[in-house]
Parts: sequence; structure tokens; C-alpha cells
Amino acid sequence: MSSILRKDYVVVRDDYAGAGRVSSDVKATLSSIGIPSPILRRIAVACYESEINMLIHAYGGDITLEIGDDNVIHMTFSDPGPGIPDIEKAMTPGWSTASDKAREMGFGAGMGLPNIKRVSDEFDITSSPEGTTIQLSFRVT
Amino acid sequence: MMRKSVVRYTLESCAKCMTCIRACPTSALSMYNGRIRVDQERCINCGKCISSCTHKGLLANGSSLEALKDYDYTVCMVPGALINDCTDLDQAGELFHAIKMLGFDEVVDITDVEGAILKEMYLITDNTDEAASIASFCPVVNALVRDTYPVLQNNITPVKYPSEVAAARIRKQHEGKNVGIFNLCECESKLALAKHPFDNPEYETDHALAIVDIFPAVRRNMSGEREDVCFCPDGLRFSNPAMMLQKDEYLIADGFDKISSVLNMAEFGLLNKFRLLQLFPCFNGCIGGHLLFGNSFLTRNNLHQLTSEKSKPAADLSFEEMYSEDVFARDEDSRSFMERVEWFKTVNAQLELLPGYDCSACGMQTCRLMAEEIAEGRKTLRDCRVLAAMEDRRTDEDN
Repeated sequence: MSSILRKDYVVVRDDYAGAGRVSSDVKATLSSIGIPSPILRRIAVACYESEINMLIHAYGGDITLEIGDDNVIHMTFSDPGPGIPDIEKAMTPGWSTASDKAREMGFGAGMGLPNIKRVSDEFDITSSPEGTTIQLSFRVT
Repeated sequence: MMRKSVVRYTLESCAKCMTCIRACPTSALSMYNGRIRVDQERCINCGKCISSCTHKGLLANGSSLEALKDYDYTVCMVPGALINDCTDLDQAGELFHAIKMLGFDEVVDITDVEGAILKEMYLITDNTDEAASIASFCPVVNALVRDTYPVLQNNITPVKYPSEVAAARIRKQHEGKNVGIFNLCECESKLALAKHPFDNPEYETDHALAIVDIFPAVRRNMSGEREDVCFCPDGLRFSNPAMMLQKDEYLIADGFDKISSVLNMAEFGLLNKFRLLQLFPCFNGCIGGHLLFGNSFLTRNNLHQLTSEKSKPAADLSFEEMYSEDVFARDEDSRSFMERVEWFKTVNAQLELLPGYDCSACGMQTCRLMAEEIAEGRKTLRDCRVLAAMEDRRTDEDN
């Protein structure tokens, strides 16, 4: 796969006021290209969930949107830590380590990662104390 | 898709200040050769351009009363939003009489139909597992969802507009006669609905009148004489967010920016705990419509006075009368996915060359839209005022 369109974004650490800005831009970009709405819906959900995860669980991070020449949309979310100690637990619906501050703002219901996996066509996660990387892909046709 | 803007550009008083171009939420306005152009496909008739213009350069294009003579029998439909402007039944009766004096054979309120549609909307959403249905009473919301928030287009409740249902009933009542049905409108989008039936060629309303246009004549007809009127309370509630049924599972929002952010959140799936989203682009709902004149904070207190003495129930509507199957279909893009991506890249390449100030001086709302124009070959980089000024300066320095 080679990428025919790429956009890079930064999620600033603790910037709760800006929560969802990257996802809004991803959604607007893909909408203007004319991605069919059922796929757009899944990407919007996964992207928002992942962006919020970076904010409430990690120290911010980088998001990349890529459209491949294979008609697949790839999204990469990588953060600089602190990492997920037990990925298996984190993938369990309802399990959450979100801070009180995050919960007060309505986040941290423990459905994040399972949800992201459910709506993506491909889902890959790697994590260490140096950071977590999630790679998602969505087939357009 | 038959969709048309009712925004009319009047050249004489236009100051070419670009305020309307910047005010448009769907980037439908641009300036070409000193004239404002309204993109008929993009305009959702929200009226933001008209209310932003301080030079009266733009107008909403309503019908005139001249059209009355084309019919043997004429009916004027009055929406709840206008009735809410009256302080009590006496004043409403006087208003109805004054409207009739303009030359109508009959003036009818459509609050019973509005009430029935509103109740049906609650019924639909209370009896489904679907989350975040979007109430379909506002043409602006429906067009906005379809064009800008396509993820939600199937969430729109499939009921028809009350004015359409009411007009069909009136037409049936007078079958065989040459009946002219006029809808009195509180906002640009309702005007558009009756004048240019978007998505629905069989629209029953013949003409749309802007309330502000006919009000001077109505005012002169106010003589103390009254029609006997009574209204449906549910219909009057239809036009204002504060008067609607408040429930934890109903989200009610008004104002264009607010409803845009609600729709954005709904696309992320964040509002699935709500059953129904009731969205009003106009601040304070339909009684805050641009073509009304009352203060929307004062008018909403009139509901009690208008319905305490006597009232009428919601209309008994059949399933066929209320439901519409394909009102909100979106046009399919004929280009392949790869072609669309390539086009996006071509536009992006032009965008890189533009200053990115989104100043609208070139006549386009944003640099991205300008980049599209350049990619289409309709404009050149030299049409960018900022780039042109920078180039001129460089030439001056060289000399």
C-alpha cells in the first residue's frame, strides 16, 4: 500500500477544551471526499474514542489519517506513554482506569477500546511504558 | 433533486462588503464580477445571509398578493409561530379577520395539524430502539443534515411538514374547485418549501407569503372586527423550544451554532442516550423566525392566554397523510472514490499556494473554496487579492 493522501494531527496533553477537534476535522475531510456515510459513521466513532483516550489516559500524542491506493483508510494513534499495563483487561468491556477528572467530564465508561475494535475492519494495538500505538483500517468499498 | 434558494440579490443597495458571504454556514454565496451569486444546490435557506446584511442587498423572495386573482377560492394558512405573537384570543381573532380582508375567502390556523405531527414524532421515538432520531419539522435542519452531517441522514423522522399535510387536507376539502392555497411564513426556509418544493414536486401549497411583507397591509385592516378562533395547544408548542415537552430523553437545542455542535456530537455517537433531537436553527425556535417581528422572549408567554379559555384537539391524521418515504434522499456522487480523492488532492495543491486568511476578498468564502475554483479553472491565483498585492509590492521594490 502506498498512501495517496495523508494528514497529520497533534493532540495536546490535557487540552480537554479541544477534545474532539481532530475527529471533527477527520470527519469533515472524509465527508468532503464523499466517503459513504455508514463507513464515515464507524470512522467518526473510532476516531473520537481514540482521540479522547489520548487525552484522558495518555500524555497527548499524534494522529495520522492516510488514504491508501488500495481503497483503505488507515488511522494511526500513537502516544508517548504511560502505556497500558494489561491490554487484555483494557479490551474488556466496562473496565476502566480513567481519572476522576475524566469521569466528571463524562468520559471513562470502559467501553473505549472494545468499541474501537468493534467498528474497525482491522485493529492493532501495541503498548509499552514508552507509549501506545493503535492502528485502524477501514475498507471503503 | 429540486432544491432552490429563495434568497434574492438586489444589486442597487449591495455594498459589496462580503458580510453575507462570510455569514453563510454552507458556503453557498460567492461574488462574481461584482454580483453576489447564490449556489442553488448549497443554499439551505437558513436566512443567515439576509439577516447579516445591513444594506438590504438581499431579500427573501416571497409571493405577492397579486396571485390571489388567479383562483376562484383562496385559503391562507397561518402557522402557530405567528399566532404566538398574539397576546390573547381576541387579538388573534382580529389578526385573522385582518388577514382575511386582504382578499382571502378563508383563513385557517394549522395548529391542529402541527400538534398532530408533533405527537406522532413523540410516538415514533418512544416506540423504537433507534437512538437520536432527529425531528423533521424544520427544512433547514433536514437540508443541513443531508449535506453536512450525512452520517445522520437516516435518523430524520419520516413525517411530512405540517404545512404540506394541512394544504393537502384543504385541497381535498375543496375538491373540484380552483383553490389557491397560500402559506404565511415565519422564515425563509418555509418560504422555500412552498415556492420551490424541494424533493417533492407534488407539494400542495401554491404560494408562500412572508409575514413581514404583508404585515403593513394587515395592520391597516385591524378594525376591531374578529373571526371566531381557537387553537390546538400542542400546535402552538411546536414553534418554541421552551414550550415543548421536556423529558430527559429529548434533547432540545436552538441557534445555528448550537445545533451544529449537537449534530457533530451525534455523528460521533455521543448522543445515543437521547431518543429525539429537536433542533431549531433560529434562536428561540420558529417564533424567532427572521420574517416575524415580535420579540421571541415576550411572545412565548402568550401560550396560556391563547389556550386557557377554549382550545381544539390535534387533528386526526391518517398514516398516509403524515408519512413520507423518500423526502430526504441525498444525491449520489457519480465519481469513483479514487477520483474523489484525486480531486481533493488537486484542490489541496492549490490551497498550499493561497495565503490561508479566509478573508473572502476574492469573492469566495474561504481559501479552500477559492482553491476549488482555481482547480476548476474558473479563477486564477492572480484573483487572490492578497497574493496580487504581494506581487505588486515585489514588482515595485524591484523597480
